Amino acid sequence: MAAVAPVRRPKRRSIPVGRIMLLGFFLVFVLWPLYWMFNTSIKPSDDYLTVPPVWFPTAPTLVHYEAALFAYRGLDGLINSLIISLSATVLSALFGTLMAYSLARYNTGGQHLSFWVLSQRFLPPIGIVLPVFLIYRGVGLYDTHIGLIIAYTVFTLPVSVWMMFAYFRGMPKSMEEAALVDGCTRWEAFWRVAVPLAAPGIVAAAVFAFIACWTEFFFALILTSRTAFTLPTVFRAFIGFQGAQYGEAAALAIVSLVPSIALGVLAQRHLVRGLTLGAVRG
Amino acid sequence: MQHTATISRMKAAGAPPRLSGFAQWADRHFKWLLVAPAVLLILALSVYPLLFSLVVSFINYDFQVPGHAFVGLKNFERVVFDPVARWSLLLTAWLSGISVAIEFVLGLLVALTMVRNFPGRGVIMSILIVPLFISPVIVGQAWTLLLQRPFGPTNYILTQLLGQEVTIGWMTESPWLYASLIIADVWQWTPFMFVILLAGLTAVPPNLYEAAELDGVNAWQAFWAITLPHLAPMMLLALTFRLLDAIRMFDTIFIMTGGGPGTRTYTASYYLYTVGFTQFHLSQATAGSWLFLIFTALVVMLLVRRLLKTEPV
Repeated sequence: MAAVAPVRRPKRRSIPVGRIMLLGFFLVFVLWPLYWMFNTSIKPSDDYLTVPPVWFPTAPTLVHYEAALFAYRGLDGLINSLIISLSATVLSALFGTLMAYSLARYNTGGQHLSFWVLSQRFLPPIGIVLPVFLIYRGVGLYDTHIGLIIAYTVFTLPVSVWMMFAYFRGMPKSMEEAALVDGCTRWEAFWRVAVPLAAPGIVAAAVFAFIACWTEFFFALILTSRTAFTLPTVFRAFIGFQGAQYGEAAALAIVSLVPSIALGVLAQRHLVRGLTLGAVRG
Repeated sequence: MQHTATISRMKAAGAPPRLSGFAQWADRHFKWLLVAPAVLLILALSVYPLLFSLVVSFINYDFQVPGHAFVGLKNFERVVFDPVARWSLLLTAWLSGISVAIEFVLGLLVALTMVRNFPGRGVIMSILIVPLFISPVIVGQAWTLLLQRPFGPTNYILTQLLGQEVTIGWMTESPWLYASLIIADVWQWTPFMFVILLAGLTAVPPNLYEAAELDGVNAWQAFWAITLPHLAPMMLLALTFRLLDAIRMFDTIFIMTGGGPGTRTYTASYYLYTVGFTQFHLSQATAGSWLFLIFTALVVMLLVRRLLKTEPV
């Protein structure tokens, strides 16, 4: 520590070079793999192995998209992913909202019930998926849309419940109480008063449930095969390839990341709540 | 129609609505009816499977050995004495520890650059969070495209930058393939740390910094004395959540290395997957997954307990 009292500096107006460099470096780090993937997806196969690499494809082509969607059944995967993710999202948001309302307004089951739901979020999927696989084979749910929809509903429920739990707790009770005084049933106070007020929160919870289902790989890998396979599992076809299918892999990746990124960026206002299960308000 | 019209007229008159027997019952048990669907689903697809797997881990359930005889602790023994199992647990701890540490430091640095408003901040924010919405499978694919020889441009770029020939087998040679897996994880999850820590940073009352500036405290001292204590609960939350997800690491390994070469990149999840679904020793895999579950529970108890005590925001 210097003995001299530090001189009070005027407010700095200088350009923060260090910060700009750090942020710039990180932006390049984030964007570079995405750019290279896009670049690969529109590059003719002849340009794959040139030295130096082709940074900007001069003759862009869509052949890889066509092959990825049709020859590798990417389109089937896309349709399955849409059906399964949307169904699971609706169920998860619905059941999650129901439960969260009960927890928030009636303190149902005390802390035990809410923390039991939370604990489900931290279970390693490998512990669940093995027995679920055996059970599904026994009851005929293996490789069915319904089977994966149920699995994804359960797998996204903890997040939906906790996001909505936090949302309802942050909402004033007075409107619902007024409705109850006016003679509404509890259901009416919930469905006609609380749910419309909580609509933005429900939409946000649904968006995060959808993204979780859309990007999920592990359950789909184990619980589906030739019928109900989702988009992420199609990438198995490109593992260990020796050069022929780079473009197809990249094209399929581009196709599948568009919906979830679009939704995620639109819902970014709720991102902090989504990532912390409502523990932190964004 | 007639009925609802009557109800609303009665409501307008201030009279409580007359309900049918079922509706009265439903209204009385309302709070339990609301939790029922979610609770039943979790019971059916999480609690029941867990109990079922506990049974399976004590019997023979193997697609290669017929019958379901009780075998005691044999399945657990097979896992505990399998060197690959121990290696995979160790690797899981190392990989997740290193990845989460890098993500934490990098996320904090980036969050610090983004605290104050500046032109273009909104757009940059939207770009930085993109990796969070991408399937880990695709993240693995993207890094494979960048790193794999001979297609990936990484070695070419390094050769140009360093001025000497670089021929690294990023997906096949020993320390590099761990680096590749960590880079992919860091790419995807640094934004997670960044978003949560940024929320924590913006919640620090700005008048504290103003007071500190008046007292002539430098930026570094202000960080230690003001930012860090205020951010601590949020840091613990971000680290806990991230670590509990990092120890599941599977998807990127499946795509990038396939566990190889040999079993060098087996994580706990990948090991249990191969035991269960490529060797079909299902009871051995369930026994192993129970052991892994217990390890996870210990981590949860240590971290989440502390987290609940601090109670962020």
